[in-house]
Amino acid sequence: MAYVSEVKQMKTGPSKNRVTIKGTKEGLTIIMDDQCSFEDLKEELREKIAKDKQVFGNGPEVEVTVDTGYRYIGEHQKEVLSGLLKDAESIRIKEFRSEVISREEAKRQREEEGLTPVTQIIRSGQVVSVRGDVLLLGDVNPGGAVEATGNVYILGTLKGTARAGVEGDLEAVVCASVMEPNQISISDVMFYAPDRYEKKQSGPLFGEPVFAYIATPEKEISFEKTRLLTQFQKQ
Amino acid sequence: MGEAIVITSGKGGVGKTTTSANIGTALALQGKHICLIDTDIGLRNLDVVMGLENRIIYDLVDAAEGRCRVQQALIKDKRFDCLHLLPAAQTKDKSALQPEQMKQVVEELKPDYDYIIIDCPAGIEQGYKNAVSGADQAVVVTTPDTSAVRDADRIIGLLEQEDLAAPKLIINRVRSHLSTQGDTLDVDDVVSTLAIDLLGMIVDDEEVLKAAHQGEPIAMNPNSRASIGYRNIARRILGESVPLMSIDEKKGFFARLKSMLGLRA
Ligand SMILES: Nc1ncnc2c1ncn2[C@@H]1O[C@H](COP(=O)(O)OP(=O)(O)O)[C@@H](O)[C@H]1O
Ligand SMILES: [Mg+2]
Repeated sequence: MAYVSEVKQMKTGPSKNRVTIKGTKEGLTIIMDDQCSFEDLKEELREKIAKDKQVFGNGPEVEVTVDTGYRYIGEHQKEVLSGLLKDAESIRIKEFRSEVISREEAKRQREEEGLTPVTQIIRSGQVVSVRGDVLLLGDVNPGGAVEATGNVYILGTLKGTARAGVEGDLEAVVCASVMEPNQISISDVMFYAPDRYEKKQSGPLFGEPVFAYIATPEKEISFEKTRLLTQFQKQ
Repeated sequence: MGEAIVITSGKGGVGKTTTSANIGTALALQGKHICLIDTDIGLRNLDVVMGLENRIIYDLVDAAEGRCRVQQALIKDKRFDCLHLLPAAQTKDKSALQPEQMKQVVEELKPDYDYIIIDCPAGIEQGYKNAVSGADQAVVVTTPDTSAVRDADRIIGLLEQEDLAAPKLIINRVRSHLSTQGDTLDVDDVVSTLAIDLLGMIVDDEEVLKAAHQGEPIAMNPNSRASIGYRNIARRILGESVPLMSIDEKKGFFARLKSMLGLRA
């Protein structure tokens, strides 16, 4: 019986603290309880914004992180919280942080971080696209292309096109055992091979495995011996 | 039960029709029962290369659409009783035939022949799809130049998606290093790029052109270097292992070819 009355008290009691505000070096963090209902959260946030003028008033703008703990919040719920926080003029949401993600997102992240092996000769007219890094066991022939959001590693000859970091990763690289590409791109930086005539005159482009990367500050594609890749990636 | 081999290339003018005519002739020389099918509808010329253009009454489209029996459309070769041609229609276009119809025609012919050689039109559209639909095996013809090899590569990629045995390669119009001064691709570069088995090479020989003009396939001529190339290919198709070029050929050029290929033998 005592137990029941305690629960009752918690539900109706005045002190809630489902929304707490903490200041850190990087700005403010709004920590939201992850056990109560979303409706309760909204209500309390609304109250706090109305009352706590010191934090939510119209002072100098502060960046806040919204931390929802072990509560999953989808796009819709993010919109609701953002909508409420619009009333607090000095607040700008930096990010939402949560300890949980959807299965779909987890799958994407896993792909993004993973290495996908592909055993194939990529022939003229064929394109192989991979999320994350790709390890190609075979050649890319002229007119064929391999592309990845991460790095491209080719255990074979690159004669066609390779695209690394296709969604903007400037640190991605293209490695090939034999590097004779028509074209390489990393993020939006392009490299075109010298004309065929020149190539014939000078023999193969490189005598050993190399990788292509974006050299700074020129923001140009350069080549370096693959055995020095470890130094590049340490930087 | 015969086997159907489609002769493809992607690019036009590299020698598909010449190859079809000569492989067919060389196999007939070995006593095999051969049917050549010209699928280049609207641009038929296998009949011309074979010297049979005056004998055409019905064609492939007539047979496919049931205007005649398949057997009625076949033309017997002048030289061999065991060699027949099913000519393409000249007055229609590629859309006059569907892959299913082609398959049916080939299936109907198979019991009567050892090999059915299908001459494919250039390109990768309807005509190509028709030609490939009836085949069990594919041969890709290329010449040693960049654009022909690029198109051959494209075709190999497409053939690999079909339900066929791994395609085999013929490099046509190979010339000696001396006469090209490096203006064409090396044969071993072509083979390493395309990465499929080499069925044979045919030298560039103006006798081939003359023979086509006379309607007598070069494979009939025992003294021509191109002819020996085709005969060797026919023997390889029959399962013999014939070295890429026989030793008793003219020295310089063939010795060089042999040494080029010896590296990857
Ligand atoms: N090995 C060869 N040497 C010289 N000429 C050739 C050779 N092979 C083919 N040709 C010529 O090239 C032209 C195109 O050949 P063809 O067989 O009609 O090609 P395709 O059927 O692929 O369009 C023809 O004039 C033919 O005589
Ligand atoms: Mg032709």
